[in-house]
Amino acid sequence: MNPNIPSVVIDFAELNFASLLPMIIVIVGALSILCIDLFTKKTDKSLYIILSVLFLLMALGSIIGFSGPVRGMFDLMLIDGIAVLAQIIILISSVFFVLLYLNKMHFHETQYPEYFTLYLFAVAGFMFMVSTDSLILIFVGLETSSMALYTMIAMHNRHNAIEAAIKYFTMGALATAFFAFASMIFYALTGSVELSIISDVLVESGFENYAFVIVGVIFMVGALGFKLSLVPFHAWVADVYQGSSAALAGFISIVPKVAGFVVALRFFEIFVAARDPYVEAILYVIVVLTMTIPNILALLQKDLARMLAYSSISSAGFVMSAILIGTTQATQAMFLYWILFFVVNLGVFTLLWAMRNKDYENYESDYSYERYAGLVRSSKYTAILMALFMLSLAGIPPLAIFWGKMYLIGSAINSGMIYLAVIMFLNSAIAVYYYLRPIVVMFLLEPKDEKKKVLNNSSKALRFVLTTCAIFTLLSIFLIEPLLNIILYYVQSSGF
Amino acid sequence: MDYILSILIFFPALAALIGILVKKDSIFIYGLIVTGLELLLSLILYSLFDVHEAQMQFIEEYAIIPSYGISYLVGIDGISLFLVIMTTFMSFISLLALNEKKDLKQLILTVLFLEMTMVGVFLALDAIIFYLFWELSLVPMLFIIGVWGGKQRIYACIKFFLYTFLGSMIMLVAMLYLGYIYYATTGIWSFSLLDWNLLLLPFDMQLWLFVAFFAGFAVKVPMFPFHTWLPYAHGQAPTIGSVLLAAVLLKMGTYGFIRFSLPLFPDASVYFMIPMAILALIAIIYTAMLAYAQEDMKQVIAYSSVSHMGVIILGTFALNVEGIGGSIFLMISHGLVSGALFMLVGMLYDRRHTKMISEFGGLASVMPKFAVIFALMLMASVGLPLTIGFVGEFLSLLGFFKVSPIIASLAGLTIILGAVYMLVMYKSVFFGKLDNKKNEKLIDINKNEVLALLPLCFLVVLLGIFPKIILTPVNTSVNELVNIMEIKAVKQSSKDTLRIINVIGGK
Repeated sequence: MNPNIPSVVIDFAELNFASLLPMIIVIVGALSILCIDLFTKKTDKSLYIILSVLFLLMALGSIIGFSGPVRGMFDLMLIDGIAVLAQIIILISSVFFVLLYLNKMHFHETQYPEYFTLYLFAVAGFMFMVSTDSLILIFVGLETSSMALYTMIAMHNRHNAIEAAIKYFTMGALATAFFAFASMIFYALTGSVELSIISDVLVESGFENYAFVIVGVIFMVGALGFKLSLVPFHAWVADVYQGSSAALAGFISIVPKVAGFVVALRFFEIFVAARDPYVEAILYVIVVLTMTIPNILALLQKDLARMLAYSSISSAGFVMSAILIGTTQATQAMFLYWILFFVVNLGVFTLLWAMRNKDYENYESDYSYERYAGLVRSSKYTAILMALFMLSLAGIPPLAIFWGKMYLIGSAINSGMIYLAVIMFLNSAIAVYYYLRPIVVMFLLEPKDEKKKVLNNSSKALRFVLTTCAIFTLLSIFLIEPLLNIILYYVQSSGF
Repeated sequence: MDYILSILIFFPALAALIGILVKKDSIFIYGLIVTGLELLLSLILYSLFDVHEAQMQFIEEYAIIPSYGISYLVGIDGISLFLVIMTTFMSFISLLALNEKKDLKQLILTVLFLEMTMVGVFLALDAIIFYLFWELSLVPMLFIIGVWGGKQRIYACIKFFLYTFLGSMIMLVAMLYLGYIYYATTGIWSFSLLDWNLLLLPFDMQLWLFVAFFAGFAVKVPMFPFHTWLPYAHGQAPTIGSVLLAAVLLKMGTYGFIRFSLPLFPDASVYFMIPMAILALIAIIYTAMLAYAQEDMKQVIAYSSVSHMGVIILGTFALNVEGIGGSIFLMISHGLVSGALFMLVGMLYDRRHTKMISEFGGLASVMPKFAVIFALMLMASVGLPLTIGFVGEFLSLLGFFKVSPIIASLAGLTIILGAVYMLVMYKSVFFGKLDNKKNEKLIDINKNEVLALLPLCFLVVLLGIFPKIILTPVNTSVNELVNIMEIKAVKQSSKDTLRIINVIGGK
């Protein structure tokens, strides 16, 4: 044994194994689904769906009950309040989205148990992303989840699904390269890949080699911008939403972004806390563009899924502004907004999924507005639910998203960013127009084709999810206070 | 009866929810009973109301989001009392006169839901809750215009929605900012209007906030030049939509000025007195001329509404007890009268399916009862003494006369111009020869319609002769309001102005 190298002593207690437990549960779940498939034949998809739910719930229990130290696994893991909160959101939303596969019609992808393995792998990847501040582990998590997602989109097995997957994959590969580049630059500058150390070194040296720092930031903006669908890295979103099944599109609209926001929060915090003027300017421009441009594009859409895609880009811009504002209240608002957005988006995509029809020859696409003309005549409750969710997205009080918007804009005003607040308001006002369009189409236009069954993909599980979302949306006024308190508890404990 | 205000707000909405279970052919009676009970409730409230008390009464408060200072806070004073009664009354009457066949059940449930939001706006004392009802009132109106409206209904309802939504979003920024100011000065989050009334704001800030609130209220009133959505909305809306829009929804804007702008920003209100008056004056004269040029009876009344709303704004920004009291009275009277006029035109439309003036002529000979009631409402709308329209207009103009005799006398043209376009319309519809054959078989108004119109006629005359019923409680609260303004004004010059214009009468 070489005496120059000190012997490595690993104490199991110091590893803080509990910090890994939730991810391990999810991964074990994924692998066990694979194994079951090996040994059995003719098992129904419902088995795998409920197994996934089971493992996700177990992981949820382990993260809620987490009480170990913040650091673990040689400082790789960082389970602070933000990480716990983000994991809770990821797990709960994953449970609901996987329930959507208990639909009535048979689709190609859900015949393969591997689909649910991939689903769980993606979830585990996102959980890794939020619970570390090491750029390497973030990279691994990002890649694991992205790879799984590309495959899942392509498994929908229609030509626009494959187009969407390829588009997502190529853009994603580019973003991955950006991320690697950014990590490399920061490693070169500071000698570490851990954000906390990078932050310390940068601040201590007074942001030496500023040009390189900025180049690194720009690469990082590109990489995270892709995941968070910020303008100008948003081109893939509409095609992916349109091409993938509604259940998966809903998942993509929520869960990857939670992970992305947490990484962005941890990364940009370094610069926002130091009041770095250039980085703030970059963020400001991106936030304003991301709110405004997709809003205008959404006005032009003739397809509900594409409209929702642009609306979710615009929402991402809204939430990014919380990072720019950088106060505790803003971080609180960010999580509040995203939780509410999750509920409403879950409702909308569940409805789209429940209305899914295999033939759409008469229309340009699955979700073109024409399909919904006069929906209120053929299915009153579907139309009313859709209107409820659309009004909520539009920010009509007292429906869910209004409170998120109000709290976020309030936090902008409280930190003196009046112009940002005004831009946010103008954008909300523009957005009302395209959220009203589906309502107008459903309620005020005459139906195009004869009466037929609307909810032909619906099942008990879908109805359960829909009811939950509708009740939450309607009663959200009473849920804001407890939500705010929970969020504040976690956010404050991690010092954001 | 501690919870009477909450019952008043949520009873119609609850009834609408349960009403889903009522069968289609019985829903009309159900709607009548619910709105009737609501009217009864508001009258009970009136009987319990202490008319000599200037402060808020029946206050209820429950914290909803305490960490951000949002609570459910409702209360009533002399200013809002009669607006609430007018709302419940007009909802009842407009349902009574309802003559709609298409999707009747949905229409009635929507109207009940709308009633909740309208009552809520007048009772809410927490800014966020106020905003909540304010925005929520757009949704049922969107459906009323969009589903039961005329040919261009989709364009009209979207225009209506977007215009008012944009305006009120700017108002919400100001509300959030005020909440923050309150937090910065006291260390406590609050959106309660009662708390905000204790704030003394610097002059510059008052100006900006006034403008932001103005954006929300002016679109709703609507004030010139933000009035362009109104003719479309009225033109396309079904009768019941027009009645409620003119009678109640427009009053939310003027009520907002009195409830928020005046006490919160006294200096800015004094500063903007003349600009506001000029905008109001333009509305009065310009839209009166437009009304004269219209060929559609409904449009004539729609433009006359804008014109009369100008007088209300003028009275409000006289900033003295006569002016503000008069403008509140005018809100009530305009609500009753314009509602009645829209109902009358609607009845004519039901019979002939046209609203064009040129299609009619000599109707007085076939529909004498209708012609008499129309004449009465028309006189009230013009502002003939001893009708309800006279009191409010007179007081509003009198109030502003102390501020600026010139503007007040120019605004007095409203009576002359109003008489011109109304009488011209009346002449060509009811007098002359009955030369259109389609009009010969017109039937005079039936029992149901008489039942709906008679209470209105009765009130128009009663309140015209004896306006004190309304004016006493209103003036008690308005006195208090003017006092608060004078105390809260930060500039000496504003205090002086307020004192001077309040010198004669009133106190």
